[in-house]
Amino acid sequence: MGLFWILFLFTALNIINQSFSFHAQRRKLFHYNLYDPLDLITAKLLINFIKLLIAGVILIGLQILFSSMPLLDPILFFKGFILAALGIALVFTLISSISTISQNQNTLTAILAIPLLIPVLLISMRVSLISERMIVDTAVDNYFLILGGINIVLLALTLIFFPLTWKS
Amino acid sequence: MTNFKSNWWKWLGVVLLLYTIVFGFQIPINAGILNVPTTKVKTGENANLKIECYNTHFSEAEDVRVYLMTDDNKLLTSSQLNIVDDNKLNAVVEIPNNLDVPQDGTTKLTAIVTNEIDGFIHQSDAVIVSKGPNSNSYKTFFTDLSILHQTDDFRFPFRPILYETIRNTFFHVAIWMAMFLLLIVSCGYSIAYLRTKNYKYDHWSASITTIAIVFGIAGLLTGMMWANYTWGTPWTNDIKLNMTAISLMVYLGYWILRSSIKDVDSRARLAAIFNLFAFVNLMILVMVIPRFTDSLHPGNGGNPAFGSEDLDNTLRAIFYPAIIGYFLIGLWMSQLSFRFRLIEEKIALSQEY
Repeated sequence: MGLFWILFLFTALNIINQSFSFHAQRRKLFHYNLYDPLDLITAKLLINFIKLLIAGVILIGLQILFSSMPLLDPILFFKGFILAALGIALVFTLISSISTISQNQNTLTAILAIPLLIPVLLISMRVSLISERMIVDTAVDNYFLILGGINIVLLALTLIFFPLTWKS
Repeated sequence: MTNFKSNWWKWLGVVLLLYTIVFGFQIPINAGILNVPTTKVKTGENANLKIECYNTHFSEAEDVRVYLMTDDNKLLTSSQLNIVDDNKLNAVVEIPNNLDVPQDGTTKLTAIVTNEIDGFIHQSDAVIVSKGPNSNSYKTFFTDLSILHQTDDFRFPFRPILYETIRNTFFHVAIWMAMFLLLIVSCGYSIAYLRTKNYKYDHWSASITTIAIVFGIAGLLTGMMWANYTWGTPWTNDIKLNMTAISLMVYLGYWILRSSIKDVDSRARLAAIFNLFAFVNLMILVMVIPRFTDSLHPGNGGNPAFGSEDLDNTLRAIFYPAIIGYFLIGLWMSQLSFRFRLIEEKIALSQEY
């Protein structure tokens, strides 16, 4: 299960890094003229979130096929997974938009975003362990509350800050 | 003199820090019982107590007495008392037959040592009494607790396990609190930069964050010293320690971000945004998550913190000034760093043109 989250984290890193990196300077100007930054970030977030969900489902399928990962409580697992994917999409999108300014963008995104993601990852890992019956914990709902709370805070921060990072 | 008027807060910081160091180390901690081997006796027998104390003055004191106390505050006085040295004494207490002991169960008694210099000190469950054969040993109990000595000396509380390391409250905890205050100020400057686009605020924010990171490392080091004496190792896998290490990594990422962007304008803007982001993350990591899991720190996993249990008034008298002192010293340090930054910027500009 730990393996799944590590693979998922780095898959997400590569997927989302592309969302801003192949923006050549001209295309950026084009977008800047055409769209409202709020519309743009919402669209980017949505597409990244959907990409992450697809990648995650493929990953789970591969792991079930090759390393016989047990899914004893799929509903619980997917609830945690969706919330975690949302958090990861939020953090990576904002941080990669921050780090487009620098030259070595990929490294900078990884350095900045992975520590920021640790709370989300820790909690969702715990939820997924509970869903596999590896540990017993009655406070699962509590974890969902924390994950949701973190996601709301991250979403608010992203929506506030993206228009500021965009203006350059 | 005008200099002093505008810089009064620096002097205040120095005075508060000196006050913390001098009084934090000079004021003795209360006397307390280190160890009473638990003795099991039956009613009618004698309980032999070997009491080891800390910070007591038995050989100087005139009026040393030993009592055993029941749960309903009845006192049994000792029949023999032998003072070994300042911190050790042996006592014999006769356990009478009229003590309330359930037929099949036991009664736990609390040992109390009292003298006029140190006041009274106690340890619960020192003697466990079970019912013995009937005999005619009857004694009267004292029920008036005012026979115990009270002292009004200004002393830090005695806590098992912590002992003298309780003084680290003024360093470890106070440095962390000052760090949080500095980070809040730094976030204020970041917001001010984003609103006004004045580079001065960016310099302020960056220098305060630097000093806050230094404070964070200092808090971590003092905490490791404390953990070495109380928990046995400098680093445990306690949730709060790991979360702290992660948030330090986030703030080091702030430094990498600043140094990797060449353009001054976008560096200032993105650093301000990341600073706010990192602060929110720090709050989540250090304040929220440890509360949901087991932790050795007070305040987490159901442990109390900053209640009347942990922080009594004597500690407060040093602790709160210590926070303000560290905060002011931190501001002073960041002002120096701020000026250094301004000079650096001027030199860079003059070289450019």
